[in-house]
Amino acid sequence: MLNSAKVSKLLIESEEPLLERFAAEIERNYQVRIVRAAEKSLVMSQARDTVSHQPFYLGEILVTECTVELNGVYGYGILMGERSEEAYRLAVVDAAFRSHAEETAGWEGPLREAELRLEERRRSERRMIDRTKVHFDTMGEYHERNR
Amino acid sequence: MAYVAVSGGGEAIANAVDLVRYYRLKGSEDSLSTDLIEKQLRLLIDKLMSEGGLYAPSYAALALKQAEGDPFEAGFLLRAFRSTLQRNHVTETIDTSGMRVIRRISSSFRDIPGGQMLGPTYDYTHRLLDFALRQEDGNSVRDFIRHFLYEGEKAESPFDETGGGEASVLPKVIDLLRDQGLMKQKSEAAEEPPYDITRQKIVFPLPRSARLQMLARGETGAMTAIAYSSMRGYGAVHPTIGELRVGYVDVFVRHPYSEEGDDSTLYIGEVLVTEVESINSFKSDPESGDIQFAMGYGLLFGQNELKGISMAILERSLEIGGGAPAQDEEFVLSHIDSVESSGFVSHLKLPHYITFSSSLDRIRQVRRNAQEKKEQVELK
Repeated sequence: MLNSAKVSKLLIESEEPLLERFAAEIERNYQVRIVRAAEKSLVMSQARDTVSHQPFYLGEILVTECTVELNGVYGYGILMGERSEEAYRLAVVDAAFRSHAEETAGWEGPLREAELRLEERRRSERRMIDRTKVHFDTMGEYHERNR
Repeated sequence: MAYVAVSGGGEAIANAVDLVRYYRLKGSEDSLSTDLIEKQLRLLIDKLMSEGGLYAPSYAALALKQAEGDPFEAGFLLRAFRSTLQRNHVTETIDTSGMRVIRRISSSFRDIPGGQMLGPTYDYTHRLLDFALRQEDGNSVRDFIRHFLYEGEKAESPFDETGGGEASVLPKVIDLLRDQGLMKQKSEAAEEPPYDITRQKIVFPLPRSARLQMLARGETGAMTAIAYSSMRGYGAVHPTIGELRVGYVDVFVRHPYSEEGDDSTLYIGEVLVTEVESINSFKSDPESGDIQFAMGYGLLFGQNELKGISMAILERSLEIGGGAPAQDEEFVLSHIDSVESSGFVSHLKLPHYITFSSSLDRIRQVRRNAQEKKEQVELK
C-alpha cells in the first residue's frame, strides 16, 4: 500500500477529483466529526545548508490544516495555501486510512493510475525545459567546427 | 509660530486613506485582479515572498495590489500578516538534490551531467522594449500557450536521459567535485537545531544557521549592493557559479498523529526555490590537509537569481571576515532586512514635533546667548 506521504502527494497534485470522490464516499457512509475546523496557519520550512550540512530555516509557508474524527480515530489534512475544503477532505481521507475503513481497499488502483499520470505530466514539463538545453562551444571549438 | 505636541488628525487620516485609494484607481476602468498579478508579475511575487519570509503567492499578489506595487510596503504587509498566524509545524528538512529543475546553469563547467538548461530566463534576450506587448490580449495569450504546448508535446526531447519517474531530478555539480576530493566532504557531525531569528533575539555573532535565515529573507537590492561591493574590491569574494538551479522542491511535515516510532509524513505541496552553490578560492582543509575549493551557498523562495548569488557571496564573505563592510556581520545582517530598513527610514516621515521643537529651543537659546555676549562686548 502507498504510504501517507505518497497518498497525500497524489491527492494534492492529481488533476482528477480523486480527493473529492474519496471524501464524499466516506461522508456518505460514516459520521465525520470535526475536531478542529480548517484554518490557516504557518509551517516553518527547513532546508540543509550544503556547506555545513546543518539545517537552517528558509522561511514560513502559508498552509490550511484541519482535524476530524472518524470511527474514534483522528485524521489530519494539511496543504499549502488558503484551501479549507481540500484540507477538510484530506483529513477525512486520512482518518479513513488510519481507521482502516473498508472503502480504502478500493482506492489503491485509482491512486496508482494518478501516480502514472502525474509522472507523465512531469515528463511533459521536463520536455519543455529540455528544449532550452544548451551546449556551449569555446571559441576555438567554434572556429574549428566552422572552418 | 509655535511648535507643540499634537494628537488627533483622525478625520484627515481617514480622508487620506480614501484619497490614496482614489489615486490607486483613478483613470482605471477596471480593477487589477490578484490572479493576474500573481501569474504575470511572477518574478516580483517571488521576490516579495522571499523578502517577506512567507511563501504564499496569492497573498503576495494581494499585498502588491494593496501597496500599488511598492515591494517595501507589500513586504511589510506580508510580515505583519504572518505575525497573526499560529505556527504549528516545522517541515522535514527539504532535500534540494531532489529538486524538479526548471533552470540549471554552471559558469564553472561547460559540460555537467544532465546538461545546462537555460529555462525561463531573460539572460540572453535583447534588452529592447517589446512594443508588441501593447497588443497582447486574452486571445493572443491563449493562442500562444496552445501553440507553445503543442510544439512542446510534438518535439522529441533529444536529451531525455533520465527516463521515467522523477524526470527532472539532476545530480549536483558540487557532489561531483566532492567525489573528486576537490570540495570538503560532508560532515558527520550531529545535526543541531537551527537558530530561529523570528523567535530568538539577534545577538552578534550569530550562528551560521541564523545568518542564512537572515540572508534568505534579505532585501534583494541591499544584498546585491553589498555583494557587489565585495566583488569590486571592498572584500575578498568574487566567485564563479558552480551551479545555479531553479526548481520545485517537495515539502513534507511529520504526521501529528503518528505513533511513536512511526515516521509517517504528509506532503503539503511544492515550493519554487533558487539555489546557488558558488566556488571560491581554494584553501587547506584543517582536517585532511588537502587543498580544496571553498564553497558559498544561497537558497531562497522563488526565482530570484541575483539574490541567490548575492547570498552565496555574502555568506562566504561573512565566513572569511575582515575589515570591509561586506565582511562585517553586524553591518551586513542589520542592513539587509526590508522591513527594518524601510521602517527606520520611513519613521522620519512621522511627526517629530517635540524632537524638532527642542532643537529649535536650543538653537534660539544659543543665538540669544551669542547676541547677549556681543552686546556686552559692544558696551565695554
